Parts: sequence; structure tokens; C-alpha cells
Amino acid sequence: MKMQTTRSLRFNRWHMLGWGLRLWLVWQVLQVLTPMSARAIISEQHTVDTQKPHVCVHTRLVDEVYETKIQRSLELVREMGATTIVEFFPWAYFEGQRGRYDWNRTDTILRHARSQGLRVIARMGFVPHWARENAPFSTSNTLAPTAYPDFARFVAAFAARYADTVYEVIIWNEPNLALEWGYQSVSPEDYAALLATVYPVVKAAAPNVQVLAGALAPTLEPEGSPHAMNDLHYLTRLYEAGAGAHFDVLAVHTYGFRQPALADPAPDVLNFRRVELLRAIMESYGDAHKRIAITEFGWNDNPRWLHGVRPAQRVQYTLEAFQWAEAHDWLDVACVWVFRTPAPAFAYPDNFTMVTTDFQLKPIYHALKAYARAHTPQESLWLPPPASD
Amino acid sequence: MVTPARLRLAALAVLPLGVLLLAWLGLRYAPQSAPTPTALLADSVLRVGVDASFAPFARDVGGTLEGFDIDLAHALADKLGVRAQFVVISFDALYDAVVTDRVDIVISALVVNPARTREVRYTRPYFDNGMVLVSPAEQPIRETADLAGRTLAFEYGSEAETQARRWLRGIAEVVAMPYELPEYALDALRLGVAESAIVEHTTLRLYLRQHPTWQPAQLAVTKSEYAAAVRVDRLALWQAVQDALNALFDDGTIAALLKKWL
Repeated sequence: MKMQTTRSLRFNRWHMLGWGLRLWLVWQVLQVLTPMSARAIISEQHTVDTQKPHVCVHTRLVDEVYETKIQRSLELVREMGATTIVEFFPWAYFEGQRGRYDWNRTDTILRHARSQGLRVIARMGFVPHWARENAPFSTSNTLAPTAYPDFARFVAAFAARYADTVYEVIIWNEPNLALEWGYQSVSPEDYAALLATVYPVVKAAAPNVQVLAGALAPTLEPEGSPHAMNDLHYLTRLYEAGAGAHFDVLAVHTYGFRQPALADPAPDVLNFRRVELLRAIMESYGDAHKRIAITEFGWNDNPRWLHGVRPAQRVQYTLEAFQWAEAHDWLDVACVWVFRTPAPAFAYPDNFTMVTTDFQLKPIYHALKAYARAHTPQESLWLPPPASD
Repeated sequence: MVTPARLRLAALAVLPLGVLLLAWLGLRYAPQSAPTPTALLADSVLRVGVDASFAPFARDVGGTLEGFDIDLAHALADKLGVRAQFVVISFDALYDAVVTDRVDIVISALVVNPARTREVRYTRPYFDNGMVLVSPAEQPIRETADLAGRTLAFEYGSEAETQARRWLRGIAEVVAMPYELPEYALDALRLGVAESAIVEHTTLRLYLRQHPTWQPAQLAVTKSEYAAAVRVDRLALWQAVQDALNALFDDGTIAALLKKWL
């Protein structure tokens, strides 16, 4: 009886082991059969083949779900001949809890940017909930002065972590708009205080990183408007508040709207060369030694948008803007808004893109590629009108 | 033990409940007569959202609105037995206006957008502004493969160029002829400088009005359909508008409006 029990136990043990082995084999086969999710494999280190180092595009990668699409976007940027991208790195995405950083998404984007040989200018902003808990009303753009040190600590941590890839950080976006300033009263003095808080902390953490300020929205909003402040007035007040000591490069947004790229600038006109008026203010405050980075510019060819131009004009003006930028040594890069978006808007913003969401290359992409690669320049982009009858 | 007598008793008890249930279901789901358009619309007015900056569909001429969409709105309102009242809104705010009940309907050359169908219900399309491949009547292009070996005129930088580039990659010896304006591409074809052209349907129709004796062959190659939009929860209004639009197609009104404006 005892022998039978022992044999039975032994049999059961071998029996179970056999079944375990079978299950393991089935599992392995299933693993092989399961389709692999798309993986973005970095196979080699690329360099940008370009004759025009000032060509830059603003990307929108941080909300892209698939890593393969991040990789493909950056491949296309490199193949077009752009040396530089501006990318948004929202604070709230990376420090959801105070002091606890999650850099996964940033690591992914910057790993691919590095692999493509691209320079990255990081735009910083977007306040996490915990940093605006005390505000009676807040949006993701509301940054109370009490939270400036928290923001400075985050930017410094970012700059230190990516000091080998990211050499420039833009402090905030379009602070002269109430929308972008969290619907607080637009205040150059508060923004100057933010720069004064952030600058030394970033420099201490990553001395080689350049701090970009401004990125003001071009606007002719009248004095006292609750919506925005004229960018020229804002910059003047920024200097008056002593901000000149707390940035290295001025970031500028300068859209062409319906005007040609080379149209003359004037204080009461919004056009591409408005950047010259901002430059004049810099020079008048003794900042001529600093450079300007145009971190957003472009034209839109949506026929339903009030500020839209014809498709041919969009390409022509963009190329002329780059040619104009070449001739000004106080300009660093000029970045077209926007390379591609993760999802279409089905409205005029889609007509700022150079590549569609599903990676169709628009004509402006081909035109910029030819320009950046300095292929034999065309005498004209298009044929003359046929002789009319 | 279930006896036949007990079963009969149970059936008798359940029967009234069943009758009541059927009666309720009948009332709940019985076909009801559709509410009249005048009952659906306050003061018998159809509030129409329109972007008046997109001729020939809608434009403001000295304070008077005119265009295909304006006439279409009036015709729809007539069919519905109500009056059209226009609310001029910029294009980007049209959807918000209908969703927030500022207007009852948007008739403004809206391209049907699947991403919006959670918010609005589109009517049947009333116009297709897709791309058209145009060729001489005596050498018509019946399929895109016929482009092989031909010159192709298009507007530089436009969607037409994007389409043309696809053909340049896939069809042998197509020669690109970019022009600044789509009308120049059509000029090139009409004057024999180019052997084909690709333009939007609206551009072609307006061009043909200027050159009524020229009758080229046309091949639609993409779709971009215009439709009116009603808020998604206003099903009865949508149905009434849809019926009215069908009637306008049937009685030739849509064709007449197309002839008038395009």
C-alpha cells in the first residue's frame, strides 16, 4: 500500500512536470506567433546633409503615441535638411508629483533626435496641478510667483539631464497673451521675475545651456487689453524690468500672415520682418551682442482662413524668409511652425503643417528640401502664365 | 407535482401582466407622426450659420448675403415652411455655433469630417469639390494610367501638386508643369500648352463659365464633399432637412443652383 502511494506520488510529480513542460512549449510557440508591436530600432548615427544650418522646424512629438512615428518624423526632418527642431516639453508630463520625475517620453524623443543628428531647442512650460493648487482659478498655463522656484528646479533638472543634447531652453511661450499666461494679468515684470528665478538655477545646473526668453506672440493688441500686450511694448517693459541680465538669446515668433516675407516692417503692421523691430529694441538696451532665434514663423494656405495665402505664395514666402535670414548674422535659426501634428484639426491649423499626420509630404517640404540641400536653384518656382488669347 | 390545473391557474395569473406589458411596449414604440418643421423651430425660423467669406458659396455684398449656400438655405427653408435667418460666423466657429444652439444648421461649404460626427449629423452631400483631372475632349483621359507620356499642369504648392507628385512616381513619363494659379493650369490645357491639368471642381466650373465654348473631358479623382450640419441630438430636424434636400435634388433645384453659381 505504502509502495503504491509512493509510486503514485512519483507518477503525479512526473505527470505534472510533463504538463508543465507542454504548457511552457505552447507558451513559447504563442510568443513566436504573436505579432510584434512596431519597434523603433536605432541602427546608426546620422548627420544632417544641408547647406543651410539655419533651417529649423517646430515639431509636435511629445503627444505622439507611437515611437515609430516619432522616429519617422525626425527622419523626415533630417532628410529635408533641417539641422534643428524646437519641441515642447510640458512640465506637467514629467513631474506629475512634486519632485518625482518621469523622463521616459523625453528620453525617447531625444534619443531619436540625437540619432538623426538634430539639434534640439526645448520649449518649457505647462504647469502640473500640484504647482497651482493655491490659485483660485488656474489653467495649465497659470504659474504663480510662489511656484517660480519649482519651475526653475524642473528646468534645471531637465537641462542637467540632457546637457549633452539640448543646448537651449525657452522659458515659457508667448507670455504676452493672457491665454498663455494662465488668464492672469499679462505682466512683463512678472515674467522678468520668472527669468530672474530660472536663469541662475539653470546656469548652476548646466552652465553651457543657453536660456531663451521671450517667444512673444506678434500682436497689435491695444494698451490695456485684457487679452494681450503688444509684443514691442512688452519687450521694452521686459528690459525696463531688468530682464536683460537673465537670458542669452531672444526667441521670436514672427508670422507673415498675408504679407510677403520681404514686406517692410512697421510698428502697426504684423509681418515677418517685425523681428527687425524687436532687434532694434534689443540693441537700444545694449543687447546687440545677443542673437535672436526665430522659434516660430510661417504662412498658412487655408482658403477659409482670414490670414491665409495662396499655396504658391506660402512656399515662395517661406523660402524668401529663409534667404533673408541667411543674410542676417544676428539670427541663429528660423523654425517653421509646424512640421507635423499627431492628429489633424480639420481646420486652418492643418495648413501650417509640412507633412500630413499620415506622413504625406506636402509641396513645401520638397521645396525646402531643395533649398536646404542647395540643389541647383530654380530660376522660378513655377512656369510663366501661358500666353492668353 | 405540477398538475395541468395548476398550470392553467398560473397562466391565468400571468396573462393580464403579459397584456399590460404588450400594451406598454406598443405605446412606447408605436410609430408616431414626425413633428412638423414649424414645431421643431422656434418662431418658424431656421437659424442658418454661414461663413460669408467664401465665394461663390457665400459672400457679403454691401450687407447683402449671396451665393450658392444662401440660395440653398432659402430653398430648404421654403420646403420646410419656415423662414431662413442668417447668422454670419467665421469659419472656425461654425461648429461651435451649431453645437451650442446659436444656430439650427450650418450651411457653409462644410467638408464632411468624420471626426465631427459625435457633435453633428451631416445631410447628404450637395456638392463635391474634389480634384478633377481635365483633358482635351478629343484625347480624353478615362483613367489615370492614360496620363503616361503626357504633360500635367497644376497649381504650385497645392493639393493638386501633392496628387500630381503621386502620379509622377507611379506613372511613366508624366511631365510636371507647375503654375502659380490653377486658372493658369487650365489656360495651359485650353491653349494646348499642356496635355492635362488637375484642379478642384469649383475652380473648373468657374473657369468653364468664363470659357463656355471649351468642353474638356473630366475625370473626378478625389472627393471633398460639402454638406449641411445639424446638432447630433436634433434627429427630427435633421430628418426634416434631409427630406427637404432630397426634394430639392428631385425637383431640379440643386441643379439649377449649381448652374446659377458654379
